Amino acid sequence: MILPTEQLTQILMVMVLATAAIIIMKRDIRSLIKTYAFQSLLVAVMALVFYIETGAVTLLLLAVVFIISKVWIIPHFMGKVQQKLNIKRDIKFHFLSPITALIVSLFILLFVYLAFTPLIAELNRFNSTLFTLGATVGVSIVFMGMIVIFTRKQTLTNVVGYLTMENGVVLFSLFLTELPMLIEILIIIDLIMLTLIATVLAFGIDSTIEEFHARLNPFSREQQTKKPEETTQ
Amino acid sequence: MNIALLLAYGIINTLFVLLVSPLFISLIKKVKAYAQGRRGPSLLQTYRNLAKLLKKETVYSQNSSWIMRATPIINLAALLVASLFVPLIYLPEPTDLVGNIILFLYLLALAKFFMALAGLDAGSSFGGMGSSREMAISALIEPIIMLVFASLAFAYKTVSIPDMFRGALANNVFDPVAVLVAVSLFIVIVVESSRVPVDNPETHLELTMIHEAMILEQSGKNLAMMELSSAMKQLLLMGVLLNILVPWGLTTDFSPVSLAVALAVFLLKAVILAVVIGLFESCAAKSRFFRLPGLFAIALFLAVVTLIIEVFA
Amino acid sequence: MNSLDIILALYAVLGAAITVATCLSKSHKTQNTLSMILPVCYLALTLYILMATQLPAYGLGSDYFLIDHLSIYEILIAATLFLLAAVYSRQYVKDSIFIHEMDESNLRLYYAAFNMLLMAVVYVFLADNLALFWILAELTTAFSAILIVILNAPKNIGAALKYIFITSTCMLFAFIGLILIFTLTEDLIGVGTLNWSMLMSVAGGLSPGIMFAAFIFTFVGFAAKSGIVPFHAWLPTAYSKAPGPISAILSGTVTTIGVYGILRMYTIVAQTAAIGKIQILLIAFGVISMIIAALTMLREPNLKKLIGYSSIEHMGFVLVGLGIGTSVAMFWVVFYFLAHAFTKSSLFLSAGIIKHQYGSVRLEYIKNVFQLQSFAGWSLILGAFSIIGMPVSAIFLAKLGILAQSTLVSPVLTVVLLTVFLFAAAAFGVFMIKMLSRKEDSTADVPYFHVGWGMKIPIAILLAIVFVLGLFFPEQLTTLLNTIVSELGVT
Repeated sequence: MILPTEQLTQILMVMVLATAAIIIMKRDIRSLIKTYAFQSLLVAVMALVFYIETGAVTLLLLAVVFIISKVWIIPHFMGKVQQKLNIKRDIKFHFLSPITALIVSLFILLFVYLAFTPLIAELNRFNSTLFTLGATVGVSIVFMGMIVIFTRKQTLTNVVGYLTMENGVVLFSLFLTELPMLIEILIIIDLIMLTLIATVLAFGIDSTIEEFHARLNPFSREQQTKKPEETTQ
Repeated sequence: MNIALLLAYGIINTLFVLLVSPLFISLIKKVKAYAQGRRGPSLLQTYRNLAKLLKKETVYSQNSSWIMRATPIINLAALLVASLFVPLIYLPEPTDLVGNIILFLYLLALAKFFMALAGLDAGSSFGGMGSSREMAISALIEPIIMLVFASLAFAYKTVSIPDMFRGALANNVFDPVAVLVAVSLFIVIVVESSRVPVDNPETHLELTMIHEAMILEQSGKNLAMMELSSAMKQLLLMGVLLNILVPWGLTTDFSPVSLAVALAVFLLKAVILAVVIGLFESCAAKSRFFRLPGLFAIALFLAVVTLIIEVFA
Repeated sequence: MNSLDIILALYAVLGAAITVATCLSKSHKTQNTLSMILPVCYLALTLYILMATQLPAYGLGSDYFLIDHLSIYEILIAATLFLLAAVYSRQYVKDSIFIHEMDESNLRLYYAAFNMLLMAVVYVFLADNLALFWILAELTTAFSAILIVILNAPKNIGAALKYIFITSTCMLFAFIGLILIFTLTEDLIGVGTLNWSMLMSVAGGLSPGIMFAAFIFTFVGFAAKSGIVPFHAWLPTAYSKAPGPISAILSGTVTTIGVYGILRMYTIVAQTAAIGKIQILLIAFGVISMIIAALTMLREPNLKKLIGYSSIEHMGFVLVGLGIGTSVAMFWVVFYFLAHAFTKSSLFLSAGIIKHQYGSVRLEYIKNVFQLQSFAGWSLILGAFSIIGMPVSAIFLAKLGILAQSTLVSPVLTVVLLTVFLFAAAAFGVFMIKMLSRKEDSTADVPYFHVGWGMKIPIAILLAIVFVLGLFFPEQLTTLLNTIVSELGVT
């Protein structure tokens, strides 16, 4: 009993949204990372479904790149960093409690749906509601990732939020169009770089390791006053 | 419309629910026991318990009023009526008589309402605590139940449960609405039958119990009726889930052979679902009462998203 | 391959070669000299393009790069600033290591990121493809973050993370806008394109509704890159924590990238019916940024943050200029890029001297400026004079030009802008008076930080350019700016 593409896509869309909701709610960083990996897998599966439907090789490549980089490498790397940092949970929320955040994201979803329906309707190529929905879901996930970024305190969680946003953008582009492969690859490399930088920086700011603080804090006023005596000579 | 057939349906369905529902209580216990490396009670244990309780004398607290006495009867009656609404093995001809989804939900709510009143009635501290918690949870889960049934009603363009099943049966593939609603419905089942992340059906630990605290004052026949009605509620909700998600096996043909086949198929489906519930319970840890809204929020999110994506689109 | 392609490739080859050489070399002097050589090469190559070739022209095929006068102009500004910042870095970085503000082991990273940033900035301005522009703009964020975090202070890490998260988050929205444009063109002409030159030629037929939505999305991203309110939170923190020369190049060039992107997008939507709404949007965001920045500046006790907020104010003013949208306003907006970049950089470089003299740029630590650092004192006064738009500075001309055009939109706008300028001027005035007039008799315990010529000359050059341009506007510059405006298709 194979599901038709459209129905499968709908189910995948809801599942992606659900993973985004879980990312908003979860406090345990390891399961956050796992949820993110699962979400990327869902996006990759969606790309594969589209590949089977349209036969565009770009989509297949995209799915492969996604599985390698986002289902495997990035979560693995972040898991390593999380172990080193020895932070297990991110329990502080600002601005919005997780439940309010979920309700807010529901309203965002509705709002985006209402805003995008007339826009997509203007494009001739998309007569199916599936495209409108896909665009809506993509943009909503971008917003949900943004909510994660500004309600969470730990840098690692913020990185997960950022990556979620990026999955949303990919989803959006999957439904609307096919970007040239070179651009897609460059974007992924770019985002991986930013992620790596942010994650490495997480060491400096989230770290509970004493020596790290010691290394980062040498800049105190006593040391400054020592210096210019020598400079003036 | 054939009145005799309808009557036969009523008798078969109600009897089936009444007789089979305790089985699944034991089955889930058994699955959990296996998951913990124990052998667990026999599958017939719930029947034995009920039989034992039915023989026992009923004791009422001095402070209790008629509510205490009426509650078990109202509960059982409400559930028996509700069992008419969910065809489990035989799907009758379309009729206006049975199956209204709103009435079904209100019957469940009525049972719950009296249960909570009875918890308060005896004036014991645990009963009141259980009732207040149960009501708080109900208030939170109510929007999800509403949304789940609303999206089903939207998707199948009907408010009658048998008609929904018929709609589901007409699809020869998985319906995305059904798949997504099933997830929310699963959470509803877990909440409504007081299962682990929400409540622990096995414990009488005063700090955490919810459902058990409410029926703590019940005894003898009354307790048996309460237990039986919660078993029936669980089976009915499981039936809704199963016959929406995998409706195949439901028969529209009233003949002994097809009825027997349908019965066997339904039992198989229900056993699988019960095993899944048991495993889910074994994997989850009881969460703190104040963390429950988080779980419900995800279910609510899922339900609303389903509504938006599947129904409005 | 024609000569343009070779030059475009040369930019990358030179950048990569010098970065590799930087990583291999051991002494600070070599690394610094290499960082000076790169902008000089870029300046020479760019000037060669300007003199010898017919612009606008595609480079390396017609898909990705377009060289027009605006990109040349921006690259010249950027390369000049990088050159001066590299000269300034020689002593600044040495001193930073000396006071343990920076680790010696990070030197290589500093210069490598410095060179890579320059390379990314150059290519950002050359990109014709908007997606490529987006990618390169993200790269500049990454390199800038590395340069901010180079100092050993936890607060720097916080500032860099804030920078990365706010700008990249908003840039993702910009990408959504780009996808919309791509889809729209695919719908319209059959082939999806994000090439600016291509879009300019088909812009008239694009649907105004979708273009408006796409513009809003891209605006969010590029505005965050420029620190427009409400996406400005990163800017004062990042600029105040970064080392002096880095603050200078960030404010002078990297901030401009956002407004540059908005300018490019603006020229596309200017041909659709959505332009009316977009002009209002730009003016509104510009004015709000200016008001919020000016009001914050009034009570700001931190010199570098004050200058940072002033950047927000100026970027807001640039948006207002774009929103006015006449060709004269556009002329002054493009000139404003130059005037603002040079003035702001001179201020940040002067603030760098103050930072190393007092160990802090907060008002309460700065005293006896004229005894200890009379050069920095005077350069700050001149820079502040110039930045608030006093006559005979380059910014004065640009502000006057845009203000005169703003009356075309509404006299109320002119009054609002003038009031905001007054507040900003008051903020700078009050701060300078407070800072320069603080005296303490016991100067003996405050050690003197010797400022070498390497740090003074860049500041002097920047201020000289700013004031000379204010007094004397060269004919060539007028021609260049007019060419840019006509290439942008603004009438």
